[in-house]
Amino acid sequence: MSSIVASLMPEFERLRQRFPEGFDSSMTLPCLRRIQELRGHVADEDISALVQWLGVPRIQFEEVLSYYTQFRRRPVGQVRLEICRNVSCSLRGAERLIGHVCQRLGVAEGGTTSDGRFTVTTAECLGSCGTAPVMVVDDEYHENMDIEKADRLIDAMSHADGGRGG
Amino acid sequence: MAELRERDAKILMTFPVTASSHLLAEARARGAYAALDKALRTMTPQQVAKEVLASGLQGRGGAAFPTGRKWAVIQYDDGQPHYLCANADEGEPGTFKDRWILENSPHQLVESMLIAAYALQVRHAFVYMRGEFSAPFRRLQGALDEARAAGLVGENILGTGFGCDIMIYRGAGSYVCGEASALLSSIEGKRGYPRNRPPRLTVKGLYQQPTVVNNVETLSNIAWIVQHGAEAFKAVGTPKHPGTRLISISGHIARPGVYEIEVGYRWRQLIYDDCGGMQHGAALKCVIPGGISTKVLTGAEIETLNLDPAEVEPAGSSMGSGGMVAIAEGTCMVRLLQVMLRFYHHESCGQCTPCREGMGWLHRLIDRIVDGQGRLDDLDMMARISRLQDGNTICGMGDAAGYATLGILAKYRHEFEHWIREGRSMYEGNLECRRSS
Amino acid sequence: MPQIFLDGQAFEARTEQTVLQVALEHGVFIPRLCWHPKLSVAGNCRICVVQVEGRSWVEIACNMPVSEGLRVLTDSPLVREHRKATMQFITLNHPVDCGICDKAGECTLQDYHVAFNGEASISREPKVQATKFHRLSERITLDNERCILCTRCVRFTREVSKSNALGVKNRGDHSLIRPAEGDDVRLLDDDAYSENIVDICPVGALLSTRLLYKERVWYLQATPSVCPGCARGCAIDVWHRKPEWKLRTLDARHNTAIVRVTPRDNPAVNGPWICNKGRDLALLLERPRADAALRKGRAVALDEALAAARELIGRARHPVALVSSWGSDEELAALDDALGDRFTCFVKDDHLPADGEVVEDDLLIRADKNPNGRTARARFGHQALQFAPDTDLVLVWGEGCDFGRLPRGVPVIFLNAFLAAENGHAEVFFPTSVHTERDGHFTNADGVRSAFSRCVDRPTGVVDAERVFRALASVPAGVAP
Repeated sequence: MSSIVASLMPEFERLRQRFPEGFDSSMTLPCLRRIQELRGHVADEDISALVQWLGVPRIQFEEVLSYYTQFRRRPVGQVRLEICRNVSCSLRGAERLIGHVCQRLGVAEGGTTSDGRFTVTTAECLGSCGTAPVMVVDDEYHENMDIEKADRLIDAMSHADGGRGG
Repeated sequence: MAELRERDAKILMTFPVTASSHLLAEARARGAYAALDKALRTMTPQQVAKEVLASGLQGRGGAAFPTGRKWAVIQYDDGQPHYLCANADEGEPGTFKDRWILENSPHQLVESMLIAAYALQVRHAFVYMRGEFSAPFRRLQGALDEARAAGLVGENILGTGFGCDIMIYRGAGSYVCGEASALLSSIEGKRGYPRNRPPRLTVKGLYQQPTVVNNVETLSNIAWIVQHGAEAFKAVGTPKHPGTRLISISGHIARPGVYEIEVGYRWRQLIYDDCGGMQHGAALKCVIPGGISTKVLTGAEIETLNLDPAEVEPAGSSMGSGGMVAIAEGTCMVRLLQVMLRFYHHESCGQCTPCREGMGWLHRLIDRIVDGQGRLDDLDMMARISRLQDGNTICGMGDAAGYATLGILAKYRHEFEHWIREGRSMYEGNLECRRSS
Repeated sequence: MPQIFLDGQAFEARTEQTVLQVALEHGVFIPRLCWHPKLSVAGNCRICVVQVEGRSWVEIACNMPVSEGLRVLTDSPLVREHRKATMQFITLNHPVDCGICDKAGECTLQDYHVAFNGEASISREPKVQATKFHRLSERITLDNERCILCTRCVRFTREVSKSNALGVKNRGDHSLIRPAEGDDVRLLDDDAYSENIVDICPVGALLSTRLLYKERVWYLQATPSVCPGCARGCAIDVWHRKPEWKLRTLDARHNTAIVRVTPRDNPAVNGPWICNKGRDLALLLERPRADAALRKGRAVALDEALAAARELIGRARHPVALVSSWGSDEELAALDDALGDRFTCFVKDDHLPADGEVVEDDLLIRADKNPNGRTARARFGHQALQFAPDTDLVLVWGEGCDFGRLPRGVPVIFLNAFLAAENGHAEVFFPTSVHTERDGHFTNADGVRSAFSRCVDRPTGVVDAERVFRALASVPAGVAP
């Protein structure tokens, strides 16, 4: 069993108890989310461990992982920058923001900086339209973003001791 | 319009938001959980359901289905397990009103869900929340923890013997999961594929059991309705569309945010008075009224309209999810539609043919136009694709993208034709509202 | 029993039926791609749209419950418009490489394109590209570009074979049918029914790797037959080259070979499925064949062999017969008629479960790996083989007999279809036909009698066992001819 799944097992068992009986299939999303929080992505060994524990077919995990955009199967940069590019954010300068962040970090959309520090992705509507544009840094919303604020954030996180502490 | 009474009743945004106004103590000081107490102690489940039916409350997620009628399908005493799901997926671009409730008034949702659970005899209720919402998740989870500690959630609520657990189920990035049946597929731990109707979800929903899925805002009205009665609720708004609507307004507006308006409120007043007009004093070009899937209305069209489905629908659009986007003059509608179609293409679940293929088709087609390779008959093709997806998909997403496309094409066709003829935008491809305009 | 109207004509329906089921039951055509009678309703292809009279929209017939007085149009202008549009959507990213597609000629998509669209693509956009040759399992190759994501294959592995081997990955127009990976990458290989997904695929996406680019279906004909692989006796079609398309230049075996085996829907036996072993019938039946009668290992004319056998039988006082459980009802009757009162008969299992073979399951596969053991035992009894000390002749019919366990020094008459060392050890040997070379019946373990027809001619030199038995019939006991 993957060590991460093993360490989460008490927590997973508690969650399983809270669901009504027969809801084992429902455990997929919460378990995968939790594993990803710890590992940064979901590895094959995690899936194997969950399949063994839950008895849910492996293909269901693989379907789910490839369907939902938040799941990652591969490691990404230490800091994830996610910028919304939907209507309201675009109306408030998201395209310039994306262009600037990518240029400054020298990556294309979806890319990771060569030092493995930052991964820049775009997202569709994050429900932050009234405070657009929004940049999500490791799951935290930074709203009313502009190029100067983005630069300050990136500056602060550019070293391993900044941001979430590498 | 002067003869209209002031439409300024509030049901949800009734208090100033402070750093602690979302906490249980302050919510209780405002009267939270009195309605739950009233329902559990003095009303039968049928009486609660009857009150909701009588209130005329309609769904606030976009489809505006009467809530009481949805509930009436559930036989509360049929001995089967029933489920209640609050739809907090809020993925319709331009919409962020439920987020306001989740972050600022979570106890209003929790109390309302408990009352609904009592009326429907639900022991397990879920809040399906979009995966990206981290602050709203923490707020609602905090509220549930507070409520549980206070004996308001869980077993034997308020000592009445009624028990209901509320769990937050977090999505992981899928617009389609905001559709009720796809939401249930997701709670079942699967791909968020919508389901064919029949059966209705109130007959066979979560794990094939009768299930009610209501939008967060819809549900949050329940406590107020139980506390003040259906008659009081019907006195707000219009007889056909009672109550208030949370309007989340964004785009080129001076003061974007969430506003609670009484149905029938003047559109102009919202935009020019409450929201301070457009950014940089720009002129209003058009408004997307209720999420990008509703048809665009021009600035001139909304001039005389009130925010009332009975007026917006005859004007050819819908109040949808209340996600309003204001767009300033000088904005390129070709590029705007491109942004929308990229979104629909990205979010199509791929289950049924017309949407799976049509979304990519529309997206590639508009990309080609923007690349300067468009032809005039491409516009008819876009209209045809939009029209033929309509009504032939499992969920409403095919229709929605079609409405958005047809709406913009109908009113701004000349911008597309200009781009195709001249090889460039009428407005330099502008999406932002420039100070100089 | 609600009455519904299809295009104005009244039909009796059953309450639990859908409009599509009623239509198909009564011969009213409604197209369908994702719908399959034995799988759950997916409702994703949208080709089965119909219009309820008085409504301005279309709905899918596969998920439309019947109700009293329901009036449905299956071919209204609106329905035709939507069908055409759906075909345009479905073929939008389809490569239309029918010219090199094995499914061409029996492809539902091809048929529907001709029926409902018939025009060249109206799209100017480049097609989405996807994997052309994705190895799903040892047996099956997937062409994702041709796939229309109807999910019949996925539902089959979930609902029928229950291997859960397949799923849909990614989303939108980048969705792909894919097998489970990691530890479960062999699930489809281990699915004993996997190749049914090739049959139920309505397009040329799922292909039999063994047949890839080997045949065009319009050169083939299907002959109804019965699978001899186990006591289920599944109804099958045996596909082989049409005589009028006989090849003259290549190896002549191409003209008689079993090209493929597919299930022939028989609700009483196998429904629309068969197991993979049935697909591999050629492996069983096309092993090297015996094609000459032998006398003590020496090739002789059939008449000489028959004469020798008659002589042996004539001399025998206590002859024993080991009866083939692969014999048809007719052959078993012929043996019984001809020699039943002269021989002590024991029924023999010609085949036992092979290594790695699924012995038995709760879908189709039966533990008895012989097609006609039930009839054989009904005729010749269930007693276990036991040679009396005075046994003076053994007739062995079919495979599965260990000659080392026959009584020493006792002459053997052997009937077998295949080349084997034992053939030459017998006193007299007859090379017999296999069941695809003649007409007949098998009766399966549940007592269902199924006919099989001759697919190809007997090879030269081969004789039907029935003819051998009849020729040996009139030999009186204990009298040398």
